[in-house]
Amino acid sequence: MTVLAHPGSKAGNSLSLNMKLLAHHELDGFGGIGEGMALQKTKDGRRILWMAHESAPKNFTGIDVTDRANPKMVVQTELPHAKVRSNSLDVVGDLMVVAYQTQTVGLSPAGIDLFDISVPESPKLLSHLDRSGPHSRGVHCVWFVDGEYVHMSSGAADFEPHNPLDDQIYQIIDVRDPKNPKEVGRWWYPGTKKGDTEPQPRRLEKKFDCGFRAHNTNVFPKRADRAYCGWLDGGAVVLDIADKTQPKMVANWRYSPPFNGFCHTVLPMFSKNLLVVSDECVQDGGADWPKLVWMVDARDESNLVPIGTFPMPPVSAFGKRGGRYGAHNMHENLPVETSFQSEDLIFGTFFNGGVRVYNIANPFQPEEVAYFVPGAPPTSPAGAIQINDVYVDENRTIYAADRFGGGLYVLELTI
Amino acid sequence: MSDALTASQVAGKLPVTVITGFLGSGKSTLVKRLLTRPEMSRVAVIVNEFGEIGIDNELIAEVSENMTLLSNGCLCCTVRTDLEETLRELFIKRRAGEIIDFDRVVIETSGMADPTPVVHTMLTDGMVFSRYRLDGVVTLIDAINGPGQLKDFPEAGKQVALADRIVITKTDLAKPADIEALTDTLTEANPYASIYTAVQGEIDPALLIDVIPARPRAEQVDSWLFGNDKGEGEGGYLSNRVRATHTMNVSSFVLTFDTPFTWDAFAAVTQLLTSLRGPDLLRVKGLVNISGEIGPVVVQGAQHLFHPPVALAAWPSDDRRSRIVFITRNIPKQAVEGLFTAAAGLAAH
Repeated sequence: MTVLAHPGSKAGNSLSLNMKLLAHHELDGFGGIGEGMALQKTKDGRRILWMAHESAPKNFTGIDVTDRANPKMVVQTELPHAKVRSNSLDVVGDLMVVAYQTQTVGLSPAGIDLFDISVPESPKLLSHLDRSGPHSRGVHCVWFVDGEYVHMSSGAADFEPHNPLDDQIYQIIDVRDPKNPKEVGRWWYPGTKKGDTEPQPRRLEKKFDCGFRAHNTNVFPKRADRAYCGWLDGGAVVLDIADKTQPKMVANWRYSPPFNGFCHTVLPMFSKNLLVVSDECVQDGGADWPKLVWMVDARDESNLVPIGTFPMPPVSAFGKRGGRYGAHNMHENLPVETSFQSEDLIFGTFFNGGVRVYNIANPFQPEEVAYFVPGAPPTSPAGAIQINDVYVDENRTIYAADRFGGGLYVLELTI
Repeated sequence: MSDALTASQVAGKLPVTVITGFLGSGKSTLVKRLLTRPEMSRVAVIVNEFGEIGIDNELIAEVSENMTLLSNGCLCCTVRTDLEETLRELFIKRRAGEIIDFDRVVIETSGMADPTPVVHTMLTDGMVFSRYRLDGVVTLIDAINGPGQLKDFPEAGKQVALADRIVITKTDLAKPADIEALTDTLTEANPYASIYTAVQGEIDPALLIDVIPARPRAEQVDSWLFGNDKGEGEGGYLSNRVRATHTMNVSSFVLTFDTPFTWDAFAAVTQLLTSLRGPDLLRVKGLVNISGEIGPVVVQGAQHLFHPPVALAAWPSDDRRSRIVFITRNIPKQAVEGLFTAAAGLAAH
């Protein structure tokens, strides 16, 4: 009899509970996707899933998912050079916003592009907002759901941080005239800009110091005067943006140290006065464990109180499976027609832990109800799947993408 | 209560089939045959000992001390200390990717056992309850020795009373008249279980699985509640086949109620009944009309424990009456009926 140490711990195996793979598209060999996924319903009735690539050479890819079990590529675009990446995008109607972030400061293009995608096969550039500068790497992440304002984490030509890790701040861009986008307001973590009178924030120890930057900056029309921001090592930040020209901080839940930083997403559950807050795991092999999804009581927004975390398999099961293992992007309940919106079922990505689905009916005890962990893509440098982002459409079809070579996985919940 | 009454809470759980039957009734043969079927290729089987189902040649790799991979991809495990721990360990290993993504569990109980505690395990252990659901109890009974066992051993009677499916085995060795007599006896004791026959464990797995559907559809609910023979003529469920019987001191009867219950009244009377006569309430299952619910609420229990109620989206037919099957030991129908009628009456006022 052969003794198998851990037959399933081979990263080649797929694992699933209550989820079924409907289709897999490798994106023509460029299957590394960043953190931008959006679903367009075209005027001719097609459904196009747009994805921003994690790194060069590709910029963004549009996949026709009208027949979700048979996805077809309609367009894949190139970046101008290898030291820039798009990473993030959002779509409202036929208008798409794409982020550009450079590897080092001082390069360009660094900013956002606005595209008319009414003909998905040939996106038409409407404008570019330049955010390049001597201390800027451009735009990491965009949020665009109302057709009027882009909320983003970005550097700026006139923003000089004390620490280069703190370069990307919250910026509000008016795109009501998409050919002429304009900044209307900004906010940065107090003490991080040269010239601030506030003391500089206490940094994490070097091995975990990721900076005090904005990551996701989400604004929902139903609470248009609030921006919910993950601020990396600064934790969760809620801003009052009733006056867009002068955002003010109303809440900051700062939990690192003792935790290891990199707060990524702050997702409000308005009907429950809760926030779902996700970290991002940024180190391989479990080196920055634990990176978690938190449940936070927000009844008093000036006093955010964590009340639980989402259960994940132990780090001993996945930590050494290859690449990163820990929390990352959530499906963000985008307030658009093509997005699933729920304050009970929450979808998250966990790199080599795949896509995992939680029922938060009891917020004190979130329950994992489904998961799908694809087997390692053959070309993955991590040697394992690294699910990076997830988008759930209004029919509960789940689109999940790999960070490196795996491309797009189309899944359905069987519950 | 509406929070608890959602089918999807049940739908996400891994189904568990309990196979019970007296010593020599052919459980191991049946399990072994089932494992050869392609539709059973992602099953975790829990047995008392590996040797029991005679699959030594099929064991290809040891996962851990008590878990073994079979040549068809199934997982076979022995109960380590108790069933709860085994079920918990199975799920933890599945989630960590250490074992196959099994999509069903089959538990073979030991021959002398009263299967009720196995069913109760599904309800009393928090983690087991959140991850697994009872799909059904399949009771095997030997055509040759079964009649005697039913007479001599109370456990055999309980195994029959708990069954959703009864399989008469070794029918090739018995006289047709004896098989018929046994079938009558079983029908009397539990008229609400479908009865099949199997020789050398040959039976279509579809007859034994998805017994209690995760997302119950009307016709499935009927089949689960009342077996294949739903009765003919007036009343449907109240055909002349359904009558109070007293085989092995086990009575079975159906109660129907025209007036909807409030959930509180129904729950209260069920609690009263279980607290007074829990040990003798061998099996209860039914469709209940609860005020304010669009479809019926499926209830089921054994002895003092009830599964969470599941609200269905629609009734199986125009008949909106509550109908509840009771399989009891020494509890007269009238006593139970009186309690529920009083509850329904209270609800009406």
